[in-house]
Amino acid sequence: MIRMVAVRLALTLPILLGVSIVAFVLMRALPGDFAQASAGTTAISAEALDTIRRNLGLDQPVWQQYLVWLDGALTGDLGRSFATRQPVTGELLPRLTVTAELTLIAGLMALTMGACTGLASARLRGTTDWAVRGLNSLLLAVPNFVVATLIVLLAGLYFPTVGIFNYVAFASDPLGNIASLLLPALSLALTVSVTISENTRAAVLEVSSQDYVMVARAKGLRAWTILGNYLVRNALTPVITVTGLQLAALLGGSILIETIFTIPGMGQYLFDSIANRDYPAIQAIVLVAATIVLLMNVVVDIAYARVDARVSYD
Amino acid sequence: MDDPRALLQVRDLTAQFNRDGVPSRVVNGISFDIAPGEAVGFVGESGCGKSVTARAIMRLAPEGSSVAWGGRILFRGRDLLRIEEREMRDMRGRRIAMVFQDPMTSLNPVMTVGAQIDDMLCRHAGLSRRAARRRTVELLGLVGIRDPALRADDHPHQFSGGMRQRVLIAIAVSCQPDLLIADEPTTALDVTVQAQILRLLMRLGRELGMALMLITHDFGVIAGMVERVYVMHGGDIVESGEVDALFAGPQHPYTRALLAAVPRIETAGRTT
Ligand SMILES: Nc1ncnc2c1ncn2[C@@H]1O[C@H](COP(=O)(O)OP(=O)(O)OP(=O)(O)O)[C@@H](O)[C@H]1O
Ligand SMILES: [Mg+2]
Repeated sequence: MIRMVAVRLALTLPILLGVSIVAFVLMRALPGDFAQASAGTTAISAEALDTIRRNLGLDQPVWQQYLVWLDGALTGDLGRSFATRQPVTGELLPRLTVTAELTLIAGLMALTMGACTGLASARLRGTTDWAVRGLNSLLLAVPNFVVATLIVLLAGLYFPTVGIFNYVAFASDPLGNIASLLLPALSLALTVSVTISENTRAAVLEVSSQDYVMVARAKGLRAWTILGNYLVRNALTPVITVTGLQLAALLGGSILIETIFTIPGMGQYLFDSIANRDYPAIQAIVLVAATIVLLMNVVVDIAYARVDARVSYD
Repeated sequence: MDDPRALLQVRDLTAQFNRDGVPSRVVNGISFDIAPGEAVGFVGESGCGKSVTARAIMRLAPEGSSVAWGGRILFRGRDLLRIEEREMRDMRGRRIAMVFQDPMTSLNPVMTVGAQIDDMLCRHAGLSRRAARRRTVELLGLVGIRDPALRADDHPHQFSGGMRQRVLIAIAVSCQPDLLIADEPTTALDVTVQAQILRLLMRLGRELGMALMLITHDFGVIAGMVERVYVMHGGDIVESGEVDALFAGPQHPYTRALLAAVPRIETAGRTT
């Protein structure tokens, strides 16, 4: 088990290297660069643009720029933002915690809603099943930014006194901070909860028809024991998988949601950085996001082994 | 008809599945008796309704299908088809236990083998966790698992098919039921293991004074194991009687066909 974790962690390094190369090249393949983007519509002489590029090292070949970046990254220095001239790490960290918190709250919401509706759907069948599946199809058809926009509209229309754009920093008011993230987290969680719900439902249905559940019933066990120890524990593995995979979807969704709700997180930072062609910032965000997703996969694998004794990594 | 000695009296039992709104009857009003401590065989080809009959006694419908039962199933005077679900749940495992056909899929893969006997003992015998575990280890020893204290903490995938069936038998007899229903308990097993499992069932039946309802599609399995046999065909009991009498002079053509299908070695072994 410990060896498996060590191996998996070691494997993330070459993957991160690949991700960083792809991101580096793709960014530079985008039309325009920081010099042009910062100039905006004002007319600036070609020489002035060239000076900016030279100062940022953008005049050198891409592979050389990459090696310079990699050299710094290996020692933990992700460079300075083109736009603010501040170290990227210092700018990213506070935003990362905000996004992590938003994603965590949204993940917990999605897991709770998805698992409960999926379980109810599979066990109760009938109208409950019908209602849950109907709602799921509806939510699946509506993208989360539409849900977010609707929430903003409805809240603004019916509860104008509730400030939905008032992001509160955790340090100044922890409870207020969590409260201010609830609506954004909800709009982020809804689509993901559908996937978890459908997968939970399928998993529980699949397990319900297994022989060992019939044996459990033949043992005269109480309904709750059967539900907990026989149905849920066996349905857990596929549910853990989708939940882990959906984390990437949550991270991606948070970019839009943060922009809509003006939350100062990583998503908004990425949005601004791309608009500015702020290469070091984009590079750092991509790297951090990839690291989170990779680590989450390792966590999912550990969870498997804890839930199911048949899974062994030796 | 109303033999006061009978443990189980089944009268005009019918079972009807609902297939997409179309009712289809798979058990057509069968009647039989099982006396306390008696070993009775049920023989019949695949699909003749043996499992449905067995599950009717446990009042268990397969997940996701609706089945309607008719008639009466009197167990120590109580009609199992009419008692409350609560009372029935107390009966299952405690008074009537069942061993199923496929040991490979009948154990919960994520629980240890011991825990799957413990939960039964905690439920019906009201034992504490520690007392239950002590009894579990005894039971595993009783069904012939070596190093029972150690193996109790293993998961099912660490057991062979034969050993898993032994575990399932340990689960079934753990609360000393009055009736043990074994639904083709050896069909999924190796030929060499089959005889061991059958001998184990017979021995436990004698030692614990349990009545045994042994279901099979193979007359060879029944021979020498049970006193009486019911022959089922297409949802009916077509013939019944003492094993020896049936072997000597089968009345129904279907019984004759079944007997003809028994491998020679089995019959030869029985007569010598
Ligand atoms: N869940 C179900 N839904 C509909 N029909 C069923 C269901 N289970 C069993 N049947 C039908 O009931 C009949 C009897 O089935 P049963 O399982 O009792 O046969 P069996 O005698 O136990 O056969 P086998 O030796 O193969 O176990 C079969 O015709 C089968 O198709
Ligand atoms: Mg059967």
